[in-house]
Amino acid sequence: MSPLLELSRVSVAIGKVALLDRISLSVEPGRILGLVGESGSGKSLTAMAAIGLLPLIGGRVTEGEVRFAGRDIAAMSEAERRALRGRRIGFVTQNPMTALDPVQRIGGQVDIVSRMHLRLTKTAARARTLDLLTQLRIPDAAAVVDAYPHQLSGGMKQRIVIAMALAGEPELIIADEPTTALDVTVQAQIIQILGALVRDRGLALLLITHDMGVIAQICDRVAVLYCGRLAEEGPVGPIFAAPAHPYTAALIDCIPQEGTARGSLRGIPGAVPSALAFSTGCRFHPRCRRATGLCQDSAPPLLPRDAGSVACHHAGAAP
Amino acid sequence: MTGPLLRIEGLTKRFHSGGGLFSRERAMIAVRDVSLEIARGEVLGVVGESGCGKSTLARLILRLIEATNGRIVFDGTELTALPASALRAMRKRMAMVFQDPYSSLDPRFTLARVLAEPFRVQSRAMPPDAVAAMLAAVGLPETLATSYPHQLSGGQRQRVGIARALALRPDFVVLDEPTASLDVSIQAQIIALLADLRDKMGLTYLFISHDLGLVRYFCDRIVVMYLGSVVEVLPDTKAAPRHPYTDALMRSGFAPDPARRREIAPLGGEIPSPFALPAGCAFTTRCAFASDRCRSERPVLSQDPAHPVACFHPL
Repeated sequence: MSPLLELSRVSVAIGKVALLDRISLSVEPGRILGLVGESGSGKSLTAMAAIGLLPLIGGRVTEGEVRFAGRDIAAMSEAERRALRGRRIGFVTQNPMTALDPVQRIGGQVDIVSRMHLRLTKTAARARTLDLLTQLRIPDAAAVVDAYPHQLSGGMKQRIVIAMALAGEPELIIADEPTTALDVTVQAQIIQILGALVRDRGLALLLITHDMGVIAQICDRVAVLYCGRLAEEGPVGPIFAAPAHPYTAALIDCIPQEGTARGSLRGIPGAVPSALAFSTGCRFHPRCRRATGLCQDSAPPLLPRDAGSVACHHAGAAP
Repeated sequence: MTGPLLRIEGLTKRFHSGGGLFSRERAMIAVRDVSLEIARGEVLGVVGESGCGKSTLARLILRLIEATNGRIVFDGTELTALPASALRAMRKRMAMVFQDPYSSLDPRFTLARVLAEPFRVQSRAMPPDAVAAMLAAVGLPETLATSYPHQLSGGQRQRVGIARALALRPDFVVLDEPTASLDVSIQAQIIALLADLRDKMGLTYLFISHDLGLVRYFCDRIVVMYLGSVVEVLPDTKAAPRHPYTDALMRSGFAPDPARRREIAPLGGEIPSPFALPAGCAFTTRCAFASDRCRSERPVLSQDPAHPVACFHPL
């Protein structure tokens, strides 16, 4: 199936600072692509580039192309792009507390999406809102539409934000850390809801997270980002079974599991540098167990490997 | 000395809200009749969802807030009865690491001043190279002493929070979600650091988290709280859960392994408002096993010392 969203070798800069370096990814209908990496690796920026919102933060695409349903979004007028967002692309933000207007009732905030994008009447939009809330298993939807955001729990608010993202009947959902602020029990509910939407409605989902557990649970493919570059990309099965990039392996190894021996988790030494201090060569080499002189001197190209690709001079070598 | 380092008995905290011109006063019980012991050198985990009372419990133990009822006995001394001056002396032996390293460090203080603060508060002379030693103990370079918190990464800031907590060489440290705002890569670093420090300094920890996977990795025993009450105490990290709530918590986590994907059976229902708890077991609104008895009668923590659980229908 042809991809709904496709980034080909997209580079992004804010002012003179280069932040993303030739990122390529694609999401197909009915599929979930996970985008993973530590804070500061460029995940959210990739999402901003995908929906043409970079100008909001003073950024621009310096190279490459973002295509939605085959069309280059840079070639669209701003009006066309605006028609895309909310209508064909739904967006779920990390913090539902900031995505909702605190002084407006829930119902009105969800209604406006289908009134604007689907030109529904007030009554039809409200009926659609109630229907969506019920589908998202919000108990007592008729009362919730009259509530203000502060009267709802974090998990409920996140479901409202998902309802808003769905209200325009989008084909693609971009969810940026949708469960990070939530308890594990609520996270499980939200992940189940997102998975069902993709399965039942054939939506495409780009799921941004820093949690390899979430990626393993619902994604079809995963793209691992480090310091604005793709480290590895491919189907989740082989990548989790045998990660070729040491950064991917390290991210997986950070999560304690049933049977993880006490004292065996050490994390990844160091921290993600700021964009002003990216390393030469492979940007991960200062934190990497496999780094050699070659890694300091030259950036490894992203090369095809099995059903995906990896950028490492020592890809697949024993750790 | 033998005996537990810390013992709490029947600790209860009631909060009131409203009661002004426009609203009727309402009361909620944030922590209800909690009793537990922490042995010397032990890492005791407290786990539960937001609002279960785990942070309130931590603050009660350090007497940062006052309990409505109950006793706290630290190393043989009853804290609850202690006057302010004696309590301050006792506090040298207890410390806390907070969840948010962004807001728990004064932005106008250099790290040297942040680390000198505990000595100043306790009117104690600070050894000359104490700052360098404290930074080294948490894996930070001495050169950071003149830096300000905003110049550090989240992980570095939390290391400073830990160094400050350990400045006066306490026996007992409360860790309140110390890694919740950090990346998993940094979380693992911090947990490894905490484990090393415990071994080196003979510390006893109370570790509060909403992440049962992390608690099972790091702790010796685990207290599970739901809406203010202890519902189960897991005697070791391998113990199978007996309370349906603990079981649901365990099933909510995702393993980083697509081969172990599972059908998600999320906990249904909503957490009841703490101002309007059900008459019986607080978990009945979400429990698949709830019976009429559960709805009318509140189960107490069984006195089985091997594996206490508060449930009429344990697994």
